[in-house]
Amino acid sequence: MTVIDLLTRVDSICKKYDKYDVDKQREANISGDDAFARFYGDFETQIETALEKAELVTKEKNRAAAVAMNAEIRRTKGRLAEEVPKLQRLAVKKVKGLTTEELAARNDLVLALPARIEAIPDGTPGGPKNTSAWAPSTTSRPDIKFDSDGRFDDDYFQESHESSQFRQEYEMRKIKQEQGLDMISEGLDALKNMASDMNEELDRQVPLMDEIDTKVDRATSDLKNTNVRLKDTVNQLRSSRNFCIDIVLLCIVLGIAAYLYNVLK
Amino acid sequence: MSSDPDKMMSKADKMTKLTLTRWSADWRGATELYEQAANGFRASNKYEKAKVALEKASKGQEMQASPWDAAKHMESAAALAQKLSIWNEVADFYRKASELYTECGRAQPASDALGKAARALEDVKPDDAIQLYTDACEILEEDGRDQMAFDLYRACANVYIKLEKFTDAATFFLRLGVAADKCDATNSQCKAYLSAIIVYLYAHDLKQAEKCYNDCSQIDAFLKSDQSRSATRLLTAYNEGDIEEIKKVASSSTVSNLDHSIIKLARKLPTGDVTPIQMNTNDDLDEDDLT
Repeated sequence: MTVIDLLTRVDSICKKYDKYDVDKQREANISGDDAFARFYGDFETQIETALEKAELVTKEKNRAAAVAMNAEIRRTKGRLAEEVPKLQRLAVKKVKGLTTEELAARNDLVLALPARIEAIPDGTPGGPKNTSAWAPSTTSRPDIKFDSDGRFDDDYFQESHESSQFRQEYEMRKIKQEQGLDMISEGLDALKNMASDMNEELDRQVPLMDEIDTKVDRATSDLKNTNVRLKDTVNQLRSSRNFCIDIVLLCIVLGIAAYLYNVLK
Repeated sequence: MSSDPDKMMSKADKMTKLTLTRWSADWRGATELYEQAANGFRASNKYEKAKVALEKASKGQEMQASPWDAAKHMESAAALAQKLSIWNEVADFYRKASELYTECGRAQPASDALGKAARALEDVKPDDAIQLYTDACEILEEDGRDQMAFDLYRACANVYIKLEKFTDAATFFLRLGVAADKCDATNSQCKAYLSAIIVYLYAHDLKQAEKCYNDCSQIDAFLKSDQSRSATRLLTAYNEGDIEEIKKVASSSTVSNLDHSIIKLARKLPTGDVTPIQMNTNDDLDEDDLT
């Protein structure tokens, strides 16, 4: 027997007898019985995923996608923050097989959770910074600058070179689109006209077709009648009695002719 | 039987003349001879004689009480007459053919015959052509086949336009509208009304055009159609004296779907000067009414 075979066999045997594995069951059971542990495990996984997403955001080049992902992270954080009190209640409950030290540890873990949730980066400037300083324009983000700093004078509303170019391009494209739509509408008009003319023409043909139908029916029935009568006539002609009579008479005539010929000769 | 058509003709003539030896005319034999003679003449391009032969053949068929064949011969005779440009004969022959067709009870060929006559005479004798067209349309309407009449109405209106009798042309378009209404052919109906309005405008008869538009708007189908919208635009443009707008409407696709002659008229709009005089007169009337 090869090694691979051995391994597969061992694996299948283990799987079969898993239900007798006491340690494993206890572990699973603990998670099954203990809602807190389950919940806590869930929490941990969610926090992990949020952290992963935050990492992706930093790598993301597309600003729109980055913004979307940040929004999602913020949503997850909000949800987790809502569920923390629930977890706390579960933490205080006494579960069998748990020591008092472990109970206390659980409480601490739950208390640490909000901090951890807040720590997940989601694109806004850091928590403590937000709560302390609310200066309007000089927030921590260095790349977004509000140049005017609150001054809304004439220069502010003057269109810059870029914006006027943009507007020009927009106008040109709009004009082109309108031209295209005009052509399409002309084509559609022609189609509509042709279609309605065709409709009327077909309506005109309908009674003609009905007439043709009746006439052809009449003609077919006439033909059928004629065929039957013709068949009868031909049958009558072909009856053998007539044939025999014809042949006999023919022979008589020939005989008389031959006799006369002989006599005259 | 000699193959010389002339001889056949004379022989047939003899067969039809009543003499002491002949108490009743032998129309059957005569007709056959006439037909053969006509073929012979046509082959040798003697159209005048062929025409005469066909006439007599038709008479023979009539005597034999087969109006269909008689009518057919008459039509061929008329076609030959057309080739020879003997116009009154053309009209007469086609009329006779049409009567014979009506005798058979076949309205369509009857009106077809008159239509062919009218088309032949359009350039030469337009008044006769118009009469023929009208008669043809009446035959079809009596038989209840209005849809076939559309083409005839349109052709007749075209003739009127060529004669520059615009009111008559517009009347015919309105008659077309009536016929279309009977068959629920809304597209043709709306096109007919728009054509009538354009004809009135071309005749520079704005009041009549507006009246026509108001009359036609009574009809639901026209009111909801593209053609009605074009008519409104045209009339408002006229009222405001806006030549650009008139030209734009005239070159729009709705107008371009009408008959050729109407399109030509529309392109030539506006005839005369279009000044917004109408506005002032309206104001005067209002002031009078208030006092």
